[in-house]
Amino acid sequence: MATDRRADVTWRGDLMSGRGRIDSVTSGAFGQLEVSWPARSEQPGGKTSPEELIAAAHATCFSMALSNGLAQEGHAPEELKTSATVTFEPGEGIISIALEVAGRVPGLDADAFQGAAKQAKENCPVSKALAGVPEISVDARLAS
Amino acid sequence: MPRVQRNAEVTWEGNVARGSGAISAATGAFQGLPYSLATRIERPNGHTSPEELLAAAHAACFAMSLASELSSAGLPPEHLEVRATVTLDEVEGGSHRIVSSELLARARVTGVDEAGLQRLAEAASAGCTLSALIEASARVSVTATLEGGTDGD
Repeated sequence: MATDRRADVTWRGDLMSGRGRIDSVTSGAFGQLEVSWPARSEQPGGKTSPEELIAAAHATCFSMALSNGLAQEGHAPEELKTSATVTFEPGEGIISIALEVAGRVPGLDADAFQGAAKQAKENCPVSKALAGVPEISVDARLAS
Repeated sequence: MPRVQRNAEVTWEGNVARGSGAISAATGAFQGLPYSLATRIERPNGHTSPEELLAAAHAACFAMSLASELSSAGLPPEHLEVRATVTLDEVEGGSHRIVSSELLARARVTGVDEAGLQRLAEAASAGCTLSALIEASARVSVTATLEGGTDGD
């Protein structure tokens, strides 16, 4: 079964001095988020950007894939805390994504956790959609 | 222009079928948005998902590219409306894959006909970092129409 998710954006003016707004998304979970080129390429000033939304998409997708992989091996996590950092080079594009995860996973050693994290990084749908990013790294640590 | 970093954080609790997570943006633009597997692949019930966040990123990226492309062609737009629809589908073996992102644009701009606008929209997609990345593994389509007729208004 296919699932569609939609976002609507309005833009006014040119790139450098214009401004945009994410008006609405399918779920209604967020909306009316302002975006602009200066906020995207310099100081954000509280505004989101395509790269921040990609960081959010990738962190959410990776966390679900990792919880699934761990559960399949009999080690469902109590908690995963994931951070995704997207690096954007204006004029070139997204050049790297760094995933960091700290997990509370009963009965699992550090190597096995790193292995499961690497699998999740390879297999989550957002990773596959962004496979052309030159460098996607993952660093997994067990929280005590 | 220097490199730019943007960060988001997620907390996930429990297994994939019954667990749930929350997502926050480092800029503070959104905080603690809940998500889960059920709301990702079935009815959203007010919860966002990786694919919705990708759709928002793609729409925002393409809107900026199209504004830039039109301005470079001497046609600064008054108003652009962009919709991105990302489709997640089940593939062989039961896993899920993002299969397409469809871009629809409506432009209020004078001095260009619809065929010209469509060409500029295709160039804008080629210049949008996310279109180029998604196209490596999924279909990206672009359709652009003029608001208020074939010559703009």
